[in-house]
Amino acid sequence: MRLYEHEAKALFRRYGIPVPKGVAVDKHSFNVLAQVAYPVMIKAQVFLGGRGQAGLIQSAHDRNEAEQKIRQMLGKYHGQFPVRKVLIEEKIDIKKEFYVAATIDRFQHKPLIIVSEHGGMEIEEIAKDKPFSILKYYFNPFEKVLPFQTRNIAYALNLRQQHMQRTSEIFVALYNLFLELDCKLTEINPLVLTGKDRFLALDAKVDLDEDAMFRHPELKDLGFVARHEIGEMTDYEKIAKVAGIPYVDMDGDIGVFPGGAGFGIAAVDLIAHYGGKPANFMDSGGAPTPEKLRTMLGLLLENPRVKAIFGARFGGISRCDDWAKAVVQYVLENEPKKPMIMRMAGNMEEEGRRILEQAKQDHPQLFENIRIYAYDTPIEEVIKETIRIAKGI
Amino acid sequence: MAIIIDENTETIVQGITGKNASLHTKFMLEYGTKVIAGVTPGKGGQEVEGLPVYDTVNECLMEHPDVTVSSIWVPPQFAMDAILEAIETGIKTIIVITERIPIHDMLYVRQRSKQRGVTVIGGNTPGVISPGKSLIGMLPKIAFQPGRIGTVARSGAVTYYVANSLNLAGFGESTSVGLGGDPILGANFEDILRLFEKDSETDAVVMAGEIGGVYEEMAAPYIRRMSKPVIAYITGRAAPQGKRLGHAGAIIEGSMGTAQSKIDALKSNGAIIVETLSEIPHLVKEALKNQ
Repeated sequence: MRLYEHEAKALFRRYGIPVPKGVAVDKHSFNVLAQVAYPVMIKAQVFLGGRGQAGLIQSAHDRNEAEQKIRQMLGKYHGQFPVRKVLIEEKIDIKKEFYVAATIDRFQHKPLIIVSEHGGMEIEEIAKDKPFSILKYYFNPFEKVLPFQTRNIAYALNLRQQHMQRTSEIFVALYNLFLELDCKLTEINPLVLTGKDRFLALDAKVDLDEDAMFRHPELKDLGFVARHEIGEMTDYEKIAKVAGIPYVDMDGDIGVFPGGAGFGIAAVDLIAHYGGKPANFMDSGGAPTPEKLRTMLGLLLENPRVKAIFGARFGGISRCDDWAKAVVQYVLENEPKKPMIMRMAGNMEEEGRRILEQAKQDHPQLFENIRIYAYDTPIEEVIKETIRIAKGI
Repeated sequence: MAIIIDENTETIVQGITGKNASLHTKFMLEYGTKVIAGVTPGKGGQEVEGLPVYDTVNECLMEHPDVTVSSIWVPPQFAMDAILEAIETGIKTIIVITERIPIHDMLYVRQRSKQRGVTVIGGNTPGVISPGKSLIGMLPKIAFQPGRIGTVARSGAVTYYVANSLNLAGFGESTSVGLGGDPILGANFEDILRLFEKDSETDAVVMAGEIGGVYEEMAAPYIRRMSKPVIAYITGRAAPQGKRLGHAGAIIEGSMGTAQSKIDALKSNGAIIVETLSEIPHLVKEALKNQ
């Protein structure tokens, strides 16, 4: 879970990493502009890089200029991200820029610190322009970094004496934050040496491991809750998010009601491969409750773009009987008209089949457009049939 | 033979008193798996499906010294503890069903398991099955038939559909391994391919990967050195593209992680690429003919 710059900087302060004086402003809090010392920098709070070129980092000399520039920025889009907040910061006189990050190397399966004395541009750019300036220092999982290690890192960046001492402390603090808060990434780019001979984290990135949030209730208290990181959410994506269902809208007409994420990805591929257009990706997670399954179905059936639904349940930890019950209950309560072509196999299949047959017998007209195949029909035949029906062939 | 588990494997269930664990213990026993006992701290002395429950893995192994494999079903906040308990007590293979284990915990688990020579499969794995011999995990038995094709996949349901598609064409599996869907895994594709390469009951391997991570790319160079054919099914080509966010991982992983990068790496190292599930048995047949 990515944090906004101003949130990441709040964590930096807690860990003793020096950051510029600043305050976050949204459309309701323009009054704080009266308490700020000018000139200031105005920085749009969005997840995507390249803010400078997009005009989303600007300076202002007084309150009027600041207010005018903030009004222009708010509501603007950077890629798919709407600007909802800006960070107002003291203007810093920059002498030199460094790059420093702590992250995980998924080849070596180890945490590491990455530094470069050419900060200020995106790390991919540094890797292209100055590849030899990038230095990597590996650590064992859960192992604290010691000051002598970060002094050596500072030394390698050609920092000496007081500069070495101060950056070394920043590196330790950054790595402590990375470990203690279960981060996937903590990054300062740039870490700047100012005209007044201070070191400051001018930008801040923190990416938290959502799966470790259970041991960090303090982060929830700070208001860091799950968020969508790939742009503005569609209405259906918002509903899905609230219900705890990973869901992405696509532009086709076949609703995909899969089991887990893995087959969800495969189903989208297969529909595209056979000439159909998937309307969505989604993921039920392991052992979904009947309520969750009904919400998933509802998302697709209510979407006017969806002409037919492809469903699949290969019961492992998710049971066929639970799945069948959810489908039947949804159909009885909502009487959907759209065709649903599905396949069910796996654990508790017999029980699931019995539930479906009973419902079909009791309400034949409601199940007219619903076909649920079994183990002996290959999944791709079910997909091809769904595509034919969606195309009206 | 078969890999990882066979008809002689004795196994325990950590977290056996949970709802899913006890249901699947019943399924495992019905399948013929030698489930010997379970462990749930604080619930020692109880019984689940007629099996004794112990408070600690140590106590369990004192009573049942031939146990070599454990499966982990505890909630994610207790998973690292349970896995390390199994490692430290001398279990040789640990199959981690638990999903969404914190990344830093799994990095530590990996390090300790490598130091001790222990195989960890998962987290978020559906399990391992050597059809007709043993099933550990929650895989549906109907998806698998005994045979001579090894399969290894990241996702649970894809594991089932791959086997399903082989079976409908008359093939069967020597062993099917679910690597698991979590970002940091114990065993990866290469570890399992190495086992299949040595297994006298496996003629060919089907591997199924998906977008994200680098495990498929990491396995590619080993495929070139294998004598057995590898058929690879990579999903995610039509997946909606999220905005790629610039991050430090990018300079380590480069452009890896996309479906195309995985397909290119595997293909250039001699794997046979399939685009659909139904192509799998055809290309397996062809590859075996050309052997």
